[in-house]
Amino acid sequence: MFGFIILMPAIQILLFGIAIGQAPTGLDFAIVDEGPGDIGTIVVEHLDGSESLVLHIEYENMPSARLDIEEGELWGALHIHPNGTFELLLDNSNQQVSNTIIVEVRNAMTAAMASQGVSLPMEIAEPVYGDKDPAFIDFLAPGIMTMVCFMFSLILTSMAFVGERYDGTLDRIFAAGTRPSEVLLGHLGAFSTILIGQVLVVILIATLGFDITIEGSILLLFLLGLLLGWAAMCFGLFVSSKAKSEFQAMQLNMPVLFPVLLLSGILWPVQALPTWIQPLAWAMPTTWTAEAFRSIMIRGWGLENTGVQMAFAFNILFALFALFIASRSLKVRE
Amino acid sequence: MGETDSAISVDGLVRGYGKVRVLEGLDMSVQIGSIYGLLGPSGCGKTTLLKVILGRLVPESGSTTVLGGTPGEKGSVIPGSAVGYSPQEIALYLDLSIAETLSFHGRLHGMSRDEVLKRQEWLLTFLDLPDSSHQVGKLSGGQKRRVSLAVALLHEPKLLLLDEPTVGVDPELRARLWGHLQEISEGGTTVVITTHYIDEAGQADCVGLMRNGALLTEDTPEAVMVSQDASSLEEAFLSLCKRDSRGDTE
Repeated sequence: MFGFIILMPAIQILLFGIAIGQAPTGLDFAIVDEGPGDIGTIVVEHLDGSESLVLHIEYENMPSARLDIEEGELWGALHIHPNGTFELLLDNSNQQVSNTIIVEVRNAMTAAMASQGVSLPMEIAEPVYGDKDPAFIDFLAPGIMTMVCFMFSLILTSMAFVGERYDGTLDRIFAAGTRPSEVLLGHLGAFSTILIGQVLVVILIATLGFDITIEGSILLLFLLGLLLGWAAMCFGLFVSSKAKSEFQAMQLNMPVLFPVLLLSGILWPVQALPTWIQPLAWAMPTTWTAEAFRSIMIRGWGLENTGVQMAFAFNILFALFALFIASRSLKVRE
Repeated sequence: MGETDSAISVDGLVRGYGKVRVLEGLDMSVQIGSIYGLLGPSGCGKTTLLKVILGRLVPESGSTTVLGGTPGEKGSVIPGSAVGYSPQEIALYLDLSIAETLSFHGRLHGMSRDEVLKRQEWLLTFLDLPDSSHQVGKLSGGQKRRVSLAVALLHEPKLLLLDEPTVGVDPELRARLWGHLQEISEGGTTVVITTHYIDEAGQADCVGLMRNGALLTEDTPEAVMVSQDASSLEEAFLSLCKRDSRGDTE
């Protein structure tokens, strides 16, 4: 059971890595080449090397290609006009698919033009941080690590003494003169052994399983994950002191887990949130942590950076605050 | 009886949960070094009364003095090691072994390892418990109850509050338990014990019959029987309850 609890986050992060952020493949795509010279051939050659597209060059004219897009047989078609211009016709019902096609076609055209000695008057230089061709998983991984560290710690502790309150165990402990803070710290200490294992597993899977390079310090990453886990555990203990049953504890967790998943910049940048909701996002330790995880993993920043410092400070403050309200909520005298 | 002789003194105690009133002006007095049998149907407020005595519940009105202080207030020895409490529920960590359970509670009371082991050896024999390496969750219902009792007795407290400790315990062991309670009460320990078995309460120094949040009577078992002209405690309580019900309708 203990091993299972530690491995649960591993399964979660594996599923995330497998399911989200990968480029779509096997997209049926037609090229109708009515263009002059061998420009069409060059474009086809370049697109042929793409893993995302399955090319169809058997279409004689655009109306037949359009018909197959309407039937759902094709995701799009590229028409090369006799005057040498290009037209892209898409099934735009899936943004990620369309984006993939547009990027592939644009790359092929740039390459085709370059082979004829024409190039854009702009060159993309080697980036300061990150890869020249960044993968979505690089953005996602720090976020998912944040989510997993937070979620499992919260769920684990939110049930901690729901049972103890109702089976008399807490009555007995309090009768012996134990203080609420001692009960809370006891639980925190015990669950920390699980937390250490979970954070280790999460970092190992992110780095080894998904081959994500970590530019900064792994120790720093581990410590921040641990702090976030503690913050979540302290909050979970507060939930536990309020909930009247395990079921109710679970219900109390839900309104916390969803905002955390959606507003912390885990799946999508915080910078993309409407401005009025941004203060709420920055009130959650997960937002600071996800941001700092990215800085450490991709930018290679360390504790000298203000953003990373803020993440540490915010998690500590959040944990202390949650522990404080939990100890107020768990009363010896009722 | 003087104030100084009473271990527990409760006066006009009122307490409920939300809108439900459980204790309605209860008076109670327990002498130091006596065994007090608290009797009454389930739901009459016995457990609530014990939790007020433990300082776990704050009274709405009335006063409670236990071992010279108000439980849970500054200067009171309660909650703390002065009291041993065995709740109605099993209230044990089921993943721990018997030895771990005792050493956990021993440490709460600041007992040394040797003290715990010495007490453990005696308690296991006395309560007829299996080897201390057994996991509590795997014991039978009656055995768990006895481990719960062992926890309450472990640190030899001055005041013992036992909430229905004899449920599911065989008669031989029940007799032995009462024998032990009488022995420690002679040594100055005060015992409050709630029970459903009215007969066994005959061995107490004083019995209180609780009904609808107050005590109908509080006296020695003999005096209660004489007052109702009854040949057994059960009969005496039956006639007291009848009179109480008649009083309600009048």
